[in-house]
Amino acid sequence: MEHAYLGIDVGSISTKGVIIDKNNAILSSRYIWTQGDPIGAVKNLVGLLEEQFDKERYQVVATGATGSARKLVGAILGATMVKNEITAHAVGTTTFYPDVRTILEIGGQDSKIILVENGVAVDYAMNTLCAAGTGAFLSSQAKRLGIEVEDIGEYALRSTHPTQIAARCTVFAESDLVHKIQMGHPREDIIAGVCNAVAANYLNNVGKGKKIVSPVVFQGGVSKNKGVVAAFEQTLGCKVIVDPNGHLMGALGAAILAKRGSGRQTFDFSIEHMDFRTKEASCGGCSNRCEIICVYRDGQLIDSWGNRCERGARVH
Amino acid sequence: MINKYPAVIGIPRAMLYYRYHALWRTFFQELGIEVLVSEPTDRDILERGTALAIDEACLSLKIYLGHAAALADRCDCILVPRVSNFGWHRNMCTRFEAMPDLVRNVFRDRQVQVLSYDVDVLLKKDEEDAFVDMGLRLGRSGREAKRAYKLAKKAEAAHRRAVVQKQEALCRQKGMKILIAAHSYVAEDPCLGRTVTDYLKKAGVVPLRADLTDREAAVKRSRELSPTCKWELNREILGGILLREEDADGLILLSAFPCGPDAMVNEIIARRVKGMPILNLVLDSQSGTAGVETRLESFIDIIRFKEGTL
Repeated sequence: MEHAYLGIDVGSISTKGVIIDKNNAILSSRYIWTQGDPIGAVKNLVGLLEEQFDKERYQVVATGATGSARKLVGAILGATMVKNEITAHAVGTTTFYPDVRTILEIGGQDSKIILVENGVAVDYAMNTLCAAGTGAFLSSQAKRLGIEVEDIGEYALRSTHPTQIAARCTVFAESDLVHKIQMGHPREDIIAGVCNAVAANYLNNVGKGKKIVSPVVFQGGVSKNKGVVAAFEQTLGCKVIVDPNGHLMGALGAAILAKRGSGRQTFDFSIEHMDFRTKEASCGGCSNRCEIICVYRDGQLIDSWGNRCERGARVH
Repeated sequence: MINKYPAVIGIPRAMLYYRYHALWRTFFQELGIEVLVSEPTDRDILERGTALAIDEACLSLKIYLGHAAALADRCDCILVPRVSNFGWHRNMCTRFEAMPDLVRNVFRDRQVQVLSYDVDVLLKKDEEDAFVDMGLRLGRSGREAKRAYKLAKKAEAAHRRAVVQKQEALCRQKGMKILIAAHSYVAEDPCLGRTVTDYLKKAGVVPLRADLTDREAAVKRSRELSPTCKWELNREILGGILLREEDADGLILLSAFPCGPDAMVNEIIARRVKGMPILNLVLDSQSGTAGVETRLESFIDIIRFKEGTL
């Protein structure tokens, strides 16, 4: 049996999974919506990955989890590697683009920039605790304009006079947008304006003070939006590479990290049929009242976290 | 004015407490007055303070008011100094100028006595004058107050020397070291900076503090990064970064939301301090630590990447 490695990236909006072989070739991959249920999404995802996977030939020997739900998902999967999404993205991207210098990433709630020198990440920045100009903003604006978030790019590219939208803050952007709609600006111009605003906001916040050097790779869910890609290319004055598997880079990075790591644990896809529940317990040990999350598999506690001190370890 | 001479003076464990606790304790001890320091910050204190403060106040001020509330019924008066400046281009944040008025107003219905002293060198009131004046208001003679102040200054200097020596020992430790640029009341508060330093320690990283260096040397060096910065506390941090630069593998700019001086000075640091990865971390009162942990974990990874140890 040949060895294979599973990587799962559970973000706020979407859940991504890949299985790779020892040469990092993709054997199976899926991208689904998280829909506020990371556990359900992962179970679903594992089932979908299994469908494409040749179990006769390969065996998954290590699993990596990343994304904002990495702890939870790591516990459920019995992951051998749990890593933050910045490291996962850097590792994934530099594996496939060894000469990359700048990685732009805009996800559902987070955005980040990673600077790379000689294939090694040397600096990065992440949005502060505010989600302005991320995928969540684009989805809510698409809804307001009555179009699917997937169609934003097409609309934007049809515009010849993008509307100016104030993008510093989502609340201001939204009121500005409503105002422009009521003033009679054409829809595609407004949509193009929103895309420009996302790019401008990103470069002024996350990208502030960072030297953006080509080759530039853009990934995360928002990279699927051609309007934002065009806005970046125009502002940066260079080509912006969007990999067809760009949305999977975090998952790929997690799989590669799992492969590189020393942990080995055969993964047999059986979690689809298991029952996972989480419970939030508030520790009463002191007035900090830590929020402790307990994860149960078929009624059995398998992991817990959130306590700042040992007193919390007893609360289940 | 104090109505009667206090037997117990309450000190909120927040803001300038972290800078002056040795000075304050010794001064009052020498005058024979008991001191009651509030308990370390916890969620209750934070929530009480948030309820008392206006929305726009910084998190550190909210925490301060929570501590003051915790002391209100347990002491005869609360020490709330007004520290405005130590001279030209040596200002404190306006919060520290407004503090006694702020506390008096927030607690105006609760009969809270505020004991204050006023440091404003630009108006020719230095720290010694301020302490002697406070001593007189506490019913002591000028000589007694002066003596207590001198001893308190000695205790403060000895404490500071010990703290700086401890930092220097940490600098000599092996392994990854990350320098934290933060106000002491942010860095040392259990609900703020301590969550960061605890995480770093658990990850096997030695946290160093930019504000814990020789103050005079730091203020002098700070001019290399900004000749005109007017905030005294930020100057100490600016200079501290330059003094510790060689020892650290990375730099975390840690501030409590929203901090005016930090917003400006951290921008200067991010632009002018080269050759070291920098993480800008703004703490708000959210109870989840996930966002902070992700940022710290990936920051440590970046440093390991650079060193080729990941």
